[in-house]
Amino acid sequence: MRLQARDIRLYLGRAEILHGVDLTAHAGRLTAIIGPNGSGKTTLLRALTGEIAPASGNVVMNGRDIAGMRPGELAPIRAVLPQQSVLSFPFTVAEIVRIGLTSSHVQDDGHALIRAALSRVGLPDHAGRLYQELSGGEQQRVQLARALVQIWHPVGSDGPRWLLLDEPVSSLDIAQQLTVMRLAAEYARQGGGVVAIMHDLNLTAMFADHVLLMQEGRAVAEGSPVDVLTDHRLSGAYGCCLQINHTPSDGVWLLPQGAGL
Amino acid sequence: MVALDASGERLAGDRRHLGRSLAFWLFALLAAVAMLSLGHGASGVSAPQVLLDWFTGHEIARTDRVVLFDIRLPRLLTGMLVGAGLAVSGAVMQGLFRNPLADPGLLGVSAGASLGAIAAIVLGGLLPPAILAAAGWHLVPLAAFAGSWLAMAVLYGIATQQGKTSVATMLLAGIAIAAMIAAVSGLIIYRADDQQLRDLTFWSLGSLAGASWVKLLAAGPVIAAALVVSPLLARGLNGLALGEAAAAHVGIRVQRVKTAAILITAAATGASVAISGGIGFVGIVVPHLLRLLTGPDHRWLLVNSGLLGASVLLVADMVSRTIIAPAELPIGIITAMIGGPFFLWVLLSNRRMLDG
Amino acid sequence: MIRRVSQAAALALSLALSAQAEPHPDAQRVLAIGGSVTEIIYALGQQDRLIARDTTSSFPAEAQELPDVGYMRALSSEGVLSVKPDLILSEEGAGPPETIAVLKEAGIPFETIPSGTDAEGLTAKIEAVAEALGVPEAAASPVAALKADLDKLSAAVGGGAPSKRVMFVLSLQGGRVMAAGQGTEADAIIRLAGAENAVQGVDGYKPLTDEAITAAAPDTILMMKRGANDSDHAAATEALMAIPAVAATPAARNGAVIRMDGLYLLGFGPRTGQAALDLHDAIYGGA
Repeated sequence: MRLQARDIRLYLGRAEILHGVDLTAHAGRLTAIIGPNGSGKTTLLRALTGEIAPASGNVVMNGRDIAGMRPGELAPIRAVLPQQSVLSFPFTVAEIVRIGLTSSHVQDDGHALIRAALSRVGLPDHAGRLYQELSGGEQQRVQLARALVQIWHPVGSDGPRWLLLDEPVSSLDIAQQLTVMRLAAEYARQGGGVVAIMHDLNLTAMFADHVLLMQEGRAVAEGSPVDVLTDHRLSGAYGCCLQINHTPSDGVWLLPQGAGL
Repeated sequence: MVALDASGERLAGDRRHLGRSLAFWLFALLAAVAMLSLGHGASGVSAPQVLLDWFTGHEIARTDRVVLFDIRLPRLLTGMLVGAGLAVSGAVMQGLFRNPLADPGLLGVSAGASLGAIAAIVLGGLLPPAILAAAGWHLVPLAAFAGSWLAMAVLYGIATQQGKTSVATMLLAGIAIAAMIAAVSGLIIYRADDQQLRDLTFWSLGSLAGASWVKLLAAGPVIAAALVVSPLLARGLNGLALGEAAAAHVGIRVQRVKTAAILITAAATGASVAISGGIGFVGIVVPHLLRLLTGPDHRWLLVNSGLLGASVLLVADMVSRTIIAPAELPIGIITAMIGGPFFLWVLLSNRRMLDG
Repeated sequence: MIRRVSQAAALALSLALSAQAEPHPDAQRVLAIGGSVTEIIYALGQQDRLIARDTTSSFPAEAQELPDVGYMRALSSEGVLSVKPDLILSEEGAGPPETIAVLKEAGIPFETIPSGTDAEGLTAKIEAVAEALGVPEAAASPVAALKADLDKLSAAVGGGAPSKRVMFVLSLQGGRVMAAGQGTEADAIIRLAGAENAVQGVDGYKPLTDEAITAAAPDTILMMKRGANDSDHAAATEALMAIPAVAATPAARNGAVIRMDGLYLLGFGPRTGQAALDLHDAIYGGA
C-alpha cells in the first residue's frame, strides 16, 4: 500500500508554490522530505494530509483519492504532527492526548492507551501537567503522543496507517531526537507508513528508507538515501558546498555541513 | 489547582470526573436556588404555603395565585433559560474564537438585537397600524431577535468564502459592522423623545420584569433547543483548541462545527436578549470560573456553564427584585456589579495561567 | 413606540370598560403612579388613602415618605402587588405592558388618568382622579383654584405686552445646549404663560448648534432648579454664559435667566396655573 502524490500543482494566493510534484511513499518505510527553507516541503505535506486541495494532481492513500474523503474517514488512517501548536486554553497533557482518540478503536476510557503513548514519547509522568507549562520540546512530544493514539496500530484491517510529521525533531535535544526518530522508524518497521519533513540531514541519513529532495517547489530527486544524499545533489539544492563522509563502522553517513568552503 | 490522583486506576490530568461531579453539585445548586427564587419576592407570598393549599384543594387568594403562577414562575423559567443561554453561548464563542474573553457580541448578535430594539422603540410608531396591532407589546422583542439574526447573517456571509468561514475575518468584520450598527442606532436615537430615551436606557440595562408566559413560550423553545444541541459541539471545540488544521486532522468537520456554533449562539443569545434586554458578564464569568475549576474540556464545560449560568442569573434576579423593593433594580446593573469585580479578582489571582 | 402601543392597549381596554374612570369610593389603599396624579390626590385631600407612589412623585414632600414602587415605565409587578393596593391611579404611559397585564390579571382596578396640558385637560385630569376615588365633589375646590389662577393668567397675558421668546434649556452636556422644541411639556408651559418658544422647528428635546441658538435669539432662558434650594444657581448660570452663542443672546445681555422647580414647572397638575402665572411674572417682570 502506498501514499502517492501525483503531479501536485498548488497555489497559495496567486503564488504557485508547487509546480507539479510527485511522491511515492510506501508503507513499512520512513520517507523523508528534505530541501532548503521555502522549497515547498510543508505545503506538500499539507496537501498529503488533505488540509489544502491542490489546483491539479491528486493524493492517493491506500488506493483512495483523499479529495473525496471526509475528515472522519481520514482520521482513522492518518495522523499529523504539525510543526508547532499554539494552545488557547489550559489543557492538561492527558486532555490534549485524548483529543486524538477517535472513538473508533477505543472501547474503554482510553486511559491505558494515553499512558502508553506518553511512555513511548518519553513523557510517562507528564499526564497531569498543564500543557502550556511544558517546554517546547515536551509540547512537541505531547503532540506526537496525540497523533499516535489516533492511529495506534500501524496496520489495520483495511490497510496501513500513515503518520505525517512536520519537522518532528526541530526543538528536541539530541537524546530526544533519537527517541522520536526511533519511534517513527519502529512504526514503519511494524508496517505503518511514515512521511517526515526533515531538516537534519544526518538524522535523515540515519533513519530514512526513502528520500524526496525538493527545491523551489519541485522534486529534484527521489529515491534511496544512497541515491539522493550525494555531494552534487545536496550542494545544488541547498546552494552551498556539502561534503559526504562515510563512517566505516556501521555504514551511517555524516555530513559535515559547510565543509569545503 | 487540579486535584491529581496519581494512585489507582485514574489517569493523572484527566479531569472529566471532576466535571461530572461538579455537574451534579451545580444541578443541586440550581434546584435550591430555584426553590429560593420561587419563595422570595417583594410581596412576601409564601410559595410552599400556596402550593400546599393548592394540593389540598383549599381556596387560594387571587393575588397569591397571580404572584406565584403569573409572576414568579414564568420569571423563574425565563431567568433559568436566559442565564443558561448566555453562559453556554459565551462558552461556545470562547471555544470557537479560541479566546477566553470572546462573547456573542463578536457575532454582532448583541449590537443587532440592540439596533432592533432601538428601531422598534423609536420608529415602531411609524409602522402600519395593522402590523402594530398584530405585534402589540411584542414588537420590541421580535425586532431585537430579528436584528440579532440579521447582523449575524451579514457577518457570516462576509466571513464565509467558498464554503469556509474565516474566524479572523469574522472578528475584524464584526468590529466594522458593530461600528456601522452603532452609527445607525445613534441616528435613530437622535430622533427619540424623552420617554423613548428612558425606555432605551432601561432596555439596555436588562430586566426579567417583563417575563410572561407568552414571551416564555415564544423564546423558551429557541433557547432550549440551542442548549440541548450545544453538548454535541464539545469534541469539535476541543479539537479547535489545537487550531483548525489540527482539528480537521483528528476527524472534525471544522466548517460544520463553526456553523453550528454560530447558529447555536445566535439562537440562544438572540432569544435571550430579545426577552430580557442587555445582561452582561454572565457569558464571560461563568465559563471562565468553570475552566478554573475543572479545566477547559468542553465535554462538561458546556453543560456546567448552562447550570451555573442559570443559577447565577436567578440569584442576580432575586437581588434585583428585593434590594430596593417594592421598586426593582435592572438586573444588568447587578450582573455587572457582581461580575466586574469578581472577574477582576479571578484574573488577578490567576495571572500565571493567563500568561501561560 | 411602547407608549403608543400601550396607549392603544389602554384605550382599547378603557373603551371596553367605559369611557370614564370607574368610581372606587371604597378603595383605601391607593397607589399613585405619576407626579401629577399624586399631587392631585393631595389637592383633593385624599392623601390618607394613598399608600405608595412611583419615583416621579416627589411633591409634596410628605409623598416622599411613602414606599416607592420604581420608575413609572419600568414597574415590577410583584413590587406593585407587595404594597397591596386596591386601586392604582396612573398617568398615561405606565409600563412595561406585561406588568400592567399582570396587575389587571390580579384583579386590581387600574385607572389611567388622561394627560392634558391646557385648562380643559388639567380640569379633566383633576376630575378624573376625583371620579376614580369616588369623591367627585372634592374636585370643586382644586378646580376652582386652578381656574382662578388661569383667569388671572389670561388677564395678565391679555395685557397687550409684546410676546417674548423663551428658550427652555434642559441640560448642558459638555457645553452643548439641550433645548426644548415642540411637543414638550416645556413648550406647553411657555405657551400657557403667554410667551413664545424661541426654539421652533425642532421636535422634542434636542441639542442645539451655536447657530441655532443665535437664530433662536431668546429674550429669556428658562432652566430647572437642581435640588431644593438651588445652591448652584450662580455656577449653572456661569456655565451657561460660558457658551459664546448663549452669551450673545438678548437673554444673556439682559441677564434674563429664570430657574424653576422641574416638577412644579413641568408636572401639569393642580399647581400648573400657579406655575404658569409665576413663569409669566418672571418673564414679563410683572408682580
